[in-house]
Amino acid sequence: MATDSTSDFTLDPAALLAAEEEGPIEGKSPWYLAWRRLRRNYVALGFLLLFVTILVLCLCAPLYANHVAHTGPNTGHLGETFTRDGKQVQVVSKGGFVNGQFHAGGIPVGPQLWHAGGRYVFGADNQGRDVAVRLLYGGLNSLAVGIGSAIICMFFAIVLALLSGYFGGATDWTISRFFDLIWAFPVLLLAIALGTALSINGFHHFGINIQSGSLWIPILVISFVLIPYVGRPLRGQILSLREKEFIEAATSQGASSWRVMFSELLPNIASSILVFFMLIIASNILTEAGLSFLGAGVQPPNASWGTMIADGEDRIATAPWLAIIPGIMIVLTVLSLNVFGDGLRDALDPRAKVRMDRR
Amino acid sequence: MTKRSRLTRFVGVLALLAALAFLAGCGGGGNKSSSGGSSSGSSSGKTYPVLRVAWDAPDYMDPQLYYTVAAYQIANYVWTGLLGYKHVPGPAGATLVPYLAEKMPTISADGTDLKFVLRPNLHYSNGTAVKASDFRYSNERAFKMDSPGVGFFSSIQGVSGPNGYATTKKGHISGIITNDANRTIEIKLDHPEGDILYILALEFAHVVPSGTPATDQSTHPIPATGPYMIQSYTPNRGFVVVRNPHYNNQIPTMPSGNPDKVIGTIITDPVASYQRVVSNKDDYDYNTVPNDRLPEAQSKFNDRLRIYTNANTYYYAINNAIPPFNNMKAREAAQMAIDPQAIISGVYGGLGRATQNFLPPGYPQYRKIDAWHFDLAKAKQLVQQSGTAGQTVDVYGPNEDPSKASTEYLAGQLAKIGYKPKLHLLAHAVYFQTIGNQKTKAQAMFTDWYQDYPHPIDWFDTLLNGDRITQLHNNNVGNVNVPSVNKEINALKKITTLTPEVNDRWAKVDKDLMATYHTTIPYMNRSQTDFFSTNVDMNCYVFSVVLYWDWGLSCMK
Repeated sequence: MATDSTSDFTLDPAALLAAEEEGPIEGKSPWYLAWRRLRRNYVALGFLLLFVTILVLCLCAPLYANHVAHTGPNTGHLGETFTRDGKQVQVVSKGGFVNGQFHAGGIPVGPQLWHAGGRYVFGADNQGRDVAVRLLYGGLNSLAVGIGSAIICMFFAIVLALLSGYFGGATDWTISRFFDLIWAFPVLLLAIALGTALSINGFHHFGINIQSGSLWIPILVISFVLIPYVGRPLRGQILSLREKEFIEAATSQGASSWRVMFSELLPNIASSILVFFMLIIASNILTEAGLSFLGAGVQPPNASWGTMIADGEDRIATAPWLAIIPGIMIVLTVLSLNVFGDGLRDALDPRAKVRMDRR
Repeated sequence: MTKRSRLTRFVGVLALLAALAFLAGCGGGGNKSSSGGSSSGSSSGKTYPVLRVAWDAPDYMDPQLYYTVAAYQIANYVWTGLLGYKHVPGPAGATLVPYLAEKMPTISADGTDLKFVLRPNLHYSNGTAVKASDFRYSNERAFKMDSPGVGFFSSIQGVSGPNGYATTKKGHISGIITNDANRTIEIKLDHPEGDILYILALEFAHVVPSGTPATDQSTHPIPATGPYMIQSYTPNRGFVVVRNPHYNNQIPTMPSGNPDKVIGTIITDPVASYQRVVSNKDDYDYNTVPNDRLPEAQSKFNDRLRIYTNANTYYYAINNAIPPFNNMKAREAAQMAIDPQAIISGVYGGLGRATQNFLPPGYPQYRKIDAWHFDLAKAKQLVQQSGTAGQTVDVYGPNEDPSKASTEYLAGQLAKIGYKPKLHLLAHAVYFQTIGNQKTKAQAMFTDWYQDYPHPIDWFDTLLNGDRITQLHNNNVGNVNVPSVNKEINALKKITTLTPEVNDRWAKVDKDLMATYHTTIPYMNRSQTDFFSTNVDMNCYVFSVVLYWDWGLSCMK
């Protein structure tokens, strides 16, 4: 909905922001204007701060593991005890047969917060692993997959969109059919199929050797399946831009196709790329969580928030924190990226309607 | 749950099992001339109209095809063979008794000729008479259908070889001679086989009418010889079992059963089946109560919960043929790195009993082994001494809990003693096939074994005899190959009766392989649960080591 500054009423805060620009805008770069709008959007900045905090915490995972929890993310402590308030506590409760009587066991210790000197702050899982340590390492993996796959996905989507939109004809037809082909599959099912196949044997083709269990597998799978979801809208923008006068002017001055694409068209879709990038990271984190939950993403014993939820699923009655805590982390991360992404979009182009298609 | 969770590994390999089993005469404690069991065939007077059960999905409802406990536990009251097991609780339930046969067979002195006589006036549930030739037909049907159990019968004359029935599937099996008029069945073997009577009690040898199509008849119930018959079966939905109207107590060695009807709903999610029984929608939960609900089940419904440990062993196989576990010190270190109680508690919620034996308790050949203790420091030291520290170890396991968690534990412990484990978690459908392929070069792996029949041959010869190692479908996944022990196993297979001395020799095989040569890491005999609604009278609960919970003997309050 385009908003006229003279209209009486609008529900679009971005349009209001744009309409109420402070001071003169003449001579200001679009990036400066965007920053000026963004810094007034406190909600978006608040969520950016939240995301940065999560990122920094996850980056501190090795420090936390070595100096606070004193255990690694994959180190199990079944059968071991720890000290809490001077008393020895089982990491996972003992069970079995004593004098012929059965005793149910296997319940991991719950969140200790700071009562155990930094150990088991968020409790243990059924292998006796420290949930807090795994949460941070899992966050690192989830964010690495989310950001890594977003970078790769964006790179290929931009290149294909530029080629398709600028050259048109057979090139456009071929690339569009490629997009259609991938789009024809439900994205999660395609990702599960690829993730499962590759997680068993790895990828050993075209001189590329990726071992099973490598983090590159979910990164590449997710980036591949999401290419058309970014490439298509960008192609649409390129198709529109290539008819503009400045492109005609560049062409008439003898600029090569590559120069037009990368020096003229690309800067004009930069704001869309930036917005897409933020939003697709969130989408990728969710996809990774789904894949890992189903066993087709990050492979055990490595943690990700998705694998942690899967590990906690069977203990939801006796150890609900195992699934709830990583679930909360996913919600916070995705929410922060989405809200900030929306704010960024509003700031870069308050009248733009760049949105990820709902899948 | 499968009756034998490694059933996929059997195909093909069982042919070797039977072909190499040279025990003469009859095994199982020398019941050669026993005339049968003591189970009363008459009704106990506790009959009731309907038993409702939440059940796991059977693989088939066809006796020549099914190979899961989910099918077996129901169908053992439906189709029967010449022999079967006594319906009594405890280890006595492993005793063979004549079912369709009038008495235990007459066996020739060299153990290669078995003669049975059918009981008189036997009828199928459709009213037709049971003929001696139906037995031969049923065996031939198994071969025609490529039944997973055909390997068991390869020692019968005329089965093996290029012109054998297993290959040609034409004509008849020459080693099974029947006479319908005299009701006699003669089985001739290529060589004596000590476990042949147990093999004849397997479901694959259950008798069906001649002419039954040699295709899966699960949804077209085959006429029954037992006290019950299948009224309907809908895969993944449920089944209804009703009384056989032509039974007339024709097999007095098995109970005629208390429920008039059994309605089974197939629910593979153990939480859902547990909830159905908690709320009395069903009377019995076939699935083991999940770890997550076990504390609640024990505290709130303990009077309705029964825990049993059947004949199984969970063990980690370590590849004795390649580094690092071709080094005995490395194998000993791996044994010491495993804390069975930690696995039982953490992974199985306490449902298990620690073991160092390969053979499960309850066998007359079982002698408890207590040869090593969990000691990480000593294990590390042994790894250093072995010169294998720092080596990469490919650890394999299924990708579903609890097997997955158990495999993760193994990988974690190997890391703690100085190796670099690399975890490979595979779908159950391909898991045993993968680790049974020598090309996989699996170095350490999760595995387990549930008995096919109660005889040590089913354990040591099948799983740990170095002479049985194959390139594909290898059951001896750890490539255990101790020549002196191989020789002893091969010698024991030829011994006709299981005397105390023979049992001691089997026990020594167990000790040599586990404690002297450290070939394998057995850690648990897994326990499971039977869970009942408030309607069920727990005084009638009977659990047998072969037949599991005996639902035919159940009764209501």
